[in-house]
Amino acid sequence: MGRYIIRRLLQAIPLLLIISIAIFGLLQSSGDPLATMGGKRVTRSEDRARLARILGLDQPIYIQYIYWLVGNDWVKLDIDQDGIMDSYGQRKGVIRGDFGNSLVARGQSAMDLIMERIPNTLILMIPAEIIILLFSLLVGIISALRQYSLTDQLITTGSFIGYSMPILFIALASMYIFAVNFRKWGLPYLPTVGMFDPKIGKTTGQVLIHMVLPIFSMSVVSISGYSRFVRSQMLEVISQDYIRTAYAKGLSERMVLFGHALKNAAIPFVTLVGIDIPFLLGGAVITETIFGWPGMGRLFIDHLTRFDTPVVMGILMLISLAVVICQLLTDIVYGWLDPRIRYT
Amino acid sequence: MNLKQKKPYLKKKYQYGTSLIFIIFFVWILLSGCSSTLTPTASPTPINITSAPTITALTANSEKIVTIALTQEPKSLNRSYSSSWSTSILTNIYSCWPWIYDEANVVHPYLLIEMPTVSDDGLVVTMKLRDDIKWSDNTPITADDFIFTQEMITNPANTVYSVYPYDLFMITAPDPQTVVMTFDEVFVSWMSNLWSGTLMPKHILQPVFDAAGTLDTAEWNRAPTVGCGPFNFTKWESGSYLRFDKNPNFWGPAPKLDAIVFQFVPDDAAQTAACLAGETDICYLPRYEDMETFKKAGLNIVFEPSGYNEGWFFNFRDMASPGIRDLNVRKAIAMGLNRQSNTSLRMNLVEVNETFWDGLPQYVDPSIVPYKYDPEAAKALLESSGYKDINNDGIREDKDGNPLIITQGVLESPERQKYQQLAQQQMKAIGIDLQTSSYNYDTLFASFTDGGPAAVGALDIMQWSDLPAFPDPDSSYWLCDQIQTDSNPYGFNYFGCDKTLDKLFAQQSVAADPVEQQHIFWQITKYMHDNVLYLGIWEDGDIWVVSPHLTGYKFSVVTPFFNIPEWDVTK
Repeated sequence: MGRYIIRRLLQAIPLLLIISIAIFGLLQSSGDPLATMGGKRVTRSEDRARLARILGLDQPIYIQYIYWLVGNDWVKLDIDQDGIMDSYGQRKGVIRGDFGNSLVARGQSAMDLIMERIPNTLILMIPAEIIILLFSLLVGIISALRQYSLTDQLITTGSFIGYSMPILFIALASMYIFAVNFRKWGLPYLPTVGMFDPKIGKTTGQVLIHMVLPIFSMSVVSISGYSRFVRSQMLEVISQDYIRTAYAKGLSERMVLFGHALKNAAIPFVTLVGIDIPFLLGGAVITETIFGWPGMGRLFIDHLTRFDTPVVMGILMLISLAVVICQLLTDIVYGWLDPRIRYT
Repeated sequence: MNLKQKKPYLKKKYQYGTSLIFIIFFVWILLSGCSSTLTPTASPTPINITSAPTITALTANSEKIVTIALTQEPKSLNRSYSSSWSTSILTNIYSCWPWIYDEANVVHPYLLIEMPTVSDDGLVVTMKLRDDIKWSDNTPITADDFIFTQEMITNPANTVYSVYPYDLFMITAPDPQTVVMTFDEVFVSWMSNLWSGTLMPKHILQPVFDAAGTLDTAEWNRAPTVGCGPFNFTKWESGSYLRFDKNPNFWGPAPKLDAIVFQFVPDDAAQTAACLAGETDICYLPRYEDMETFKKAGLNIVFEPSGYNEGWFFNFRDMASPGIRDLNVRKAIAMGLNRQSNTSLRMNLVEVNETFWDGLPQYVDPSIVPYKYDPEAAKALLESSGYKDINNDGIREDKDGNPLIITQGVLESPERQKYQQLAQQQMKAIGIDLQTSSYNYDTLFASFTDGGPAAVGALDIMQWSDLPAFPDPDSSYWLCDQIQTDSNPYGFNYFGCDKTLDKLFAQQSVAADPVEQQHIFWQITKYMHDNVLYLGIWEDGDIWVVSPHLTGYKFSVVTPFFNIPEWDVTK
């Protein structure tokens, strides 16, 4: 197992390199970060030339990529525009932990911007994911065990409704119902936007109450989808011979379901969750935007729309790294769930 | 037997599961306590700062706090580093301008004893500073701060977004209260282009620049703890809010409010909800369809002409279609488009503008008669130019049988796309096939080299919202030397070169006499209107939705919070 893990980690290095080249190339061809720096006006050509030179955007794409990867502190540059390459660059490159400075929020490290937002995103996404997983399993199992009953029909109908509704609609509808109208009707109400009330501060209570609507919105859609998946997996497993054998041996229903059926039904579910978890880092773009949650999703969109390569690359590479690690973890969990799987 | 064997195993598993949940909960609580806020910290240089202390826990208590929703978070609080409107409007809070504009956009001296004087030849502009103005740490504001600001903006080590027009003049200070700017050429629009919240405290930033060799990394850019406005920067929580507290050392009238909080609410619909729920006291630029809801909720709505106008820019370059280069066709479009009726897209709450300069009515020729919706007259004009519907397909053809097709592109937005649908129907009614497209900012304004549709003249008509160098009427849009070409890939002119117009713009740019400049603009507006080089869609003003508990507020376009010391809350 140890050799397998080391081999997978070593394989990840060229994989991440290829991903970085692909994303960098796509970003470079998707837009011009200098175009909107002039604000309400197209950036003046003199300013464009000056900013391009100082920010290193006048270099060919492959040079920009090399500087992003290994830094430019080994190259002399003409920073003061006097025609003489007289000063070394200051970037250390990603391989030395320097993701560069944001092009939009100039002077700020891309990694600092990202690290500011990661805790906020995890605060929202981890509880959301736990709730989604628990309720998906619960609803899916109940639905499977009561197949074609009224409960199953109700859950199925609810799932289809929940899954068909765009999260945008759910988020805004819940905001207007539970925050605006409840307040109008004199009922206890929830806050509309933000992670906390700035007048009160970032207390645990404030964060908790502000999490309710975003998590509710995300959960409705995800639980609806996942519970259907769990239901179908459970139905498939509980019709297997070994389940019948377990019952015949006199095991309690609880033991059969949780000790045998769910464990086997969970294998494909683990794959899905394994794919989901790295994207927790990326936040939920729509939910964060609507609810004004200061997470990674909003940071990503803010900087992507301005073609801020260092920040966008930083976010995407973090997610890529998380995907690689989570896929490895998923494979390890497979081995635990299914003893037939052996890694060498 | 089996059950007995399994039970301890199950118990152990459940114990692990419970522990895991507790660990996750604990980590989450820890994370929720993590603060990614930007708070004032000690300056890297030994400078005494007597600004407000760091606030670690914000409490409402009995403080008078006003919360303003902003859909855009600024990227910097150093105005020279950010051209975004969010940074721009915030500068009235913590920074100061030499002059400010009131709710009628009338300019008043602010840091100055009087408005700057201009020499007879128009080359020298002199500012006389008040002797009681000071930074929030009680350091006097002097001419040295202006000189330092100009030096920093024009220094190539600093990646400010534009050095214009600070690179056009030499600055001197005969005494600490006098700033003299000497231009090489007459620069009429100095008032609307200079010192718009850009002033930097030399005593704070000079040591930072000396140490780092650049201002790019200065902490002051994101935490301007020493300012000169009625409020001091206190806290910036990335993605959440910005807070400014009353400046106890403000040299002007003491603010009545204790603090101003700008909460970032990126979504328009969520901004409306926050305003309706009373979580924010002011919303800026909400959706027009929400106006009725705001009124019903008892919120006050303030409309303020902004100088921005939505309009159709006509392409009269050689590559434009023959139709659009025909004056009769352009006039027919102006008369065939039911502009008044189309304001229904904005709940009929906006006025149709007639020229690009309607936000500055003093510069618009009073003799201009607006084009009225008259489809029959439009058809007659098209007939007179030889456009007839030969094959009875509803679209007119020229004498060679070519259909009258006009291409039109907009800067993408759902509202503009709805407008395109209305325009298509109205143009079809007079026999014009309006072929529409929509582009994001980056695509529409891509350079000539990159084949941007505006730059290469691929569109006959372009639509977006824009303004001149407000409150100055100057514009570079129709200058002949700004046409984008291979050798000038980033010019401002997407529309064409008209020698008459070019000459008039050149004349106004050196007209030191304001009356002379005004009369030249009357000629410009009349000429452009008569030749239909621009067709107004509607005035695109500012809208502020204000809580009924707020009093004393006024808004200006250029300096929106010009009277913020007078704001108060009744509850």
